[in-house]
Amino acid sequence: MDMQYKEGINGEVGIRSAGKGKVKRSDLFVRFLALVLTLAAAVVLGANNQSTTVSVKIVPSLPPVNLPVTAKWLYMSAFVYLVIANAIACFYATMSLVVTLAARGGKKNVTLIVTILDIVMVALLFSAMGAAGAVGLIGLKGNSHLQWGKVCNVFDKFCHQTAAAMILSFNGSICYLLLVVLATINVYKKF
Amino acid sequence: MASHDTTTPPHATIEKPLKSSQLPQQYKGSWGPALDVALRMFLFATAIVAVIIMAASKQTKLISLFPGFAIPLEAKFTQSPAFIYAIAALSVACLYSIITGVLSVFALMKPGGSWTKLQFHFVILDALLLGIVAAATGGAGGVAYIGLKGNSHTNWNKVCDKFGSFCSHLAGSIVLSLVSSITLLLLVWLSVYVLSKKLARG
Repeated sequence: MDMQYKEGINGEVGIRSAGKGKVKRSDLFVRFLALVLTLAAAVVLGANNQSTTVSVKIVPSLPPVNLPVTAKWLYMSAFVYLVIANAIACFYATMSLVVTLAARGGKKNVTLIVTILDIVMVALLFSAMGAAGAVGLIGLKGNSHLQWGKVCNVFDKFCHQTAAAMILSFNGSICYLLLVVLATINVYKKF
Repeated sequence: MASHDTTTPPHATIEKPLKSSQLPQQYKGSWGPALDVALRMFLFATAIVAVIIMAASKQTKLISLFPGFAIPLEAKFTQSPAFIYAIAALSVACLYSIITGVLSVFALMKPGGSWTKLQFHFVILDALLLGIVAAATGGAGGVAYIGLKGNSHTNWNKVCDKFGSFCSHLAGSIVLSLVSSITLLLLVWLSVYVLSKKLARG
């Protein structure tokens, strides 16, 4: 009678129902997807540099001079923050995947700690996304009030690659949000 | 009639009167509900002060081009989309904290375990709002950092040496929005902890 009614106290000892296994498998799948997406975002932005030449007319009578200019992700602190945040999220996804697989059917405290850290990762990734998005928007459109000119007309490949990295990072952060929702649904089913 | 329940008395099959006398005692000693309402009020306070400080950050300076001719230069929050988004997100957080605070208080007063059921929805909604407010903090912080230090590689000049009061208003607002996002994080942690304790108790 205890094993039928008091599921929560005995944990997963007696009961490995199909419903519970399904939630756990989707949790692992979403965690692996978050790992892949944040790794891809960090790599795409980390390998982002572009060298091009800008023709500048110094004196009107002489022909324009070609100046070489480079754009690297290191030059902008918001992009550095995005790469670091995605690297941290990728490392955490690896650790939590290992821990979740190792502690399957075991203690309850492991899932609690993993959920708590998932929420921290959501906040970190969203804030990095906001910073890179704001700075990228200035680079794309410029800001006439603050006298900041646009950059993306010169460095178009750099801007496209940064946009791709931001989309990947955004999908990674949505995966982490999904993990929090899945953990909540998992607890709700046990009530 | 009560063949499967040997432990509970027969008149307890009508559950409502027994539950309503149990639940206020269930919440009386615990600090969870009080902390939840207190954190939501704190979130309201920090969000609304951040909005007010950023909205009141306008600064006008007279730049003299040559003697006898001066043009006024203005710095206000509407000049950057990141700051507009930050004010919008913090206003949403402010409104959200009022609504959920009122809901939480009403659920506490009603007997029947509805406060714990409400925590399920609060986890998801709080996590979503945490994402939004964190993005606002990050965006405003990133743009303000460029305004403070400038960026030599892209020829973006620093703004804070000319408009000091504007920058200090922005700094205060960004710090407060960081405090708001930490408050939201604590709210999600509290809800997760309350739910896991309820699960462990059975």
